[in-house]
Amino acid sequence: MKSPVLTDKKMPFCPGCGHGIIVNSISKSFIELGYNPLDIIIVSDIGCSGLVDPLFATHTVHGLHGRAPALGLGVAMGLADRSKKVIVIQGDGGATIGLQHLLEAARRNIDITLLVFNNLLYGMTGGQISGLSTDKFKELRQVEEGVPPFDIIKLAHQAGAMSSARVISPANFTESIKFAVETPGFALLELASICPSYGLQKIKELDEFSQEADALLNNRKVNEVVYRETSSLLNDVEIISKKFNTSIDERYRILLAGSAGGGIQLAAELLAKAGISAGLHSTMKGEYPVTVGTGFSIAEVILSRKPIYYTGLDTPDVIFIMTEDGLEKVKSFMNADTLIIADDLLSLSEANNISSKPFSKKVGKRSAILNAISSWISDTNVIPKEALIDAIKPHKHAELLIKAIETEV
Amino acid sequence: MVLTDASMLITEACVKAGADAFIGYPITPSNKFYNYGSKRFPLFLAGPDEITVLQWMTGLSAAGKFPVTATAFPGLALMAETFNMAYMMELPMLLIITQRLGPSTGSATTGAQGDLSFINGLISGGYPVPVLCPSNFEDAWKLTEESIKTAINLRTPVILLTSKEMVMTQKSFDISILPEINKINREQEPIDLPYKTYKSGNNFVPPFVPVGNHEHLIRLNSSTHDDEGMIQKNSPNAIANTIRLKEKMEKRLDEYTFFDYDKQDDSKNLIVTYGISAGAARNAVEELRKNNKKISLLVVKTLLPVSEKITSIIDSYQNVTFVEENIGGQYKEIIYGKVYRSNIKQVNKIGFMISPSDIIKELSL
Repeated sequence: MKSPVLTDKKMPFCPGCGHGIIVNSISKSFIELGYNPLDIIIVSDIGCSGLVDPLFATHTVHGLHGRAPALGLGVAMGLADRSKKVIVIQGDGGATIGLQHLLEAARRNIDITLLVFNNLLYGMTGGQISGLSTDKFKELRQVEEGVPPFDIIKLAHQAGAMSSARVISPANFTESIKFAVETPGFALLELASICPSYGLQKIKELDEFSQEADALLNNRKVNEVVYRETSSLLNDVEIISKKFNTSIDERYRILLAGSAGGGIQLAAELLAKAGISAGLHSTMKGEYPVTVGTGFSIAEVILSRKPIYYTGLDTPDVIFIMTEDGLEKVKSFMNADTLIIADDLLSLSEANNISSKPFSKKVGKRSAILNAISSWISDTNVIPKEALIDAIKPHKHAELLIKAIETEV
Repeated sequence: MVLTDASMLITEACVKAGADAFIGYPITPSNKFYNYGSKRFPLFLAGPDEITVLQWMTGLSAAGKFPVTATAFPGLALMAETFNMAYMMELPMLLIITQRLGPSTGSATTGAQGDLSFINGLISGGYPVPVLCPSNFEDAWKLTEESIKTAINLRTPVILLTSKEMVMTQKSFDISILPEINKINREQEPIDLPYKTYKSGNNFVPPFVPVGNHEHLIRLNSSTHDDEGMIQKNSPNAIANTIRLKEKMEKRLDEYTFFDYDKQDDSKNLIVTYGISAGAARNAVEELRKNNKKISLLVVKTLLPVSEKITSIIDSYQNVTFVEENIGGQYKEIIYGKVYRSNIKQVNKIGFMISPSDIIKELSL
């Protein structure tokens, strides 16, 4: 009888290839389970096992070497419909190069079935051994002796596969495939195959498949994929309206320099927001080491009457320096024209435009920068101090921060 | 006004346009996308590596969902093979690439415009990938929508090419000027029967039907295939289907060609730029005109494939200066190759943004 899950295409495999036996077992399993072929998505890999697509009258997706378990997982997560059956097929070579995907699929325990056709070698490229080639097979061929194969059944089990099994005898294929397909989560099935061209010639040589048949189960919850409702990110953005005026003619380029934990990034953000409430355009960007909790912390702020296209700083008009870390980073920006506002703990060589004050002594390291900005604002009237206070108000530690800027240094 | 960044605008625009899933693998300077994406997308998945990320995305896309990721060169390099697969399968998705200083891992927190050449050669065989590149926050919003529209309409992965300075810098911005983005319609025209996965009508793009449906059998294939999706070596049908991949991108290029052309009459000089360098160029042009110098500006937003609309503007000038933050002028090289032309100048820089004064100096008008 013609199988409803198979096409009339001829098997593409070499005569006597074990893969034909597996394909027929898959077909039998689907028929016995009574699936509509269009509820099945076969996802195949590269290699001889990857030639199966045209044989199946199901949806088919033919992917890359080793990656089919990830691709199949993606299909299942996209469909998010357990009435659809995603069956991934790959060989032992694919399972080797894509081991990460196999383990990830097991860990996630999404409902897919992975069938690994293990003929102990790379058939398509001439019979090279794979990471699943067994000890005995390699000993007889004197290759990679002493390097054990991966036991993907145990690995998948350890990673959380709901079921993982190795089946050596073709007589058990159909029942094992049915069990794997019916497993509600991730199921791995390693099926022994033969390769008359380069490997095992006959079924009876399967004793060279020196790994034991095995079947392991994990009792765990199946992972369901849920597409949730979310709300616009723009709803959470603070709207800043113009409340104040400013005396800036054109623009101010401000460089803030300190250390991690010194509130530099927050101060820059507040200054930029204060600028907006004073009717200015502003930009803010931070720079710090990848290890964010230590070392320097630098921030650049531009406040401008006109829209800001170029967001670089080039030559700052004012540099705030709170710590040695910060000083080290901004030295190259310091020239005779630049106004420098520094903590008095820093030993800066005398220059004509330095204002040194005991910010950290008076208000502590974390608030020193805000205090320094506040005192600069008061001296120069660049923007009203109220604009800065206004910017601070929505912050969860507003009271503390406002106290810091109100302290006279 | 708000103080925000382009990462947020792009993320929000994605979801508004109908993107379903963000699949992330953390990498600087695309990490803001990861954070925003985890909050905003209907589905967020943390991939274990970038190859998995793109494989999952391809699977999601095959099932009819629209997936998005954001990465930088090291991630894109790992994705190269799978990108080819998704391209060959003709599955829509969006990759946001945030450029940083290379080569290799380079400097993760330093901006750059250095990945265009790589992307230009990303598809084995030299097939074009649509690459859109925002030059400011308004573009970040609009081009995201256009990228997703292009991906869906052409059934292809699309790259939105950004850079560190473009997506991490916070700027004051009036969000009330942003036009509404509506979910992009994925309804198909009635399908000619018998349906074949890769059979297209006159518009070069086969109608998309997801796997798992009950009406049509779907055969997606990463290997060379005929219009049915059956693997073939080099049958006439399969070769024609492969050539169609290039045709669909190029014949429908007008649908997704974007640029800003700020033309000054009588100017013999043109600045050509894109992305983050456009800011400096806009300032430079303002400054030059203030000093009564004649200068036109072309900000290219569809970098690839190169449209004739863009080359014809460039060709109409006596002197052209390409401004891009990389070592050799990658866009310039895509347009002109390696041949030296005395009328072509370039402003290039690495490790720092190109400033307006860099441009003015090179132009020496």
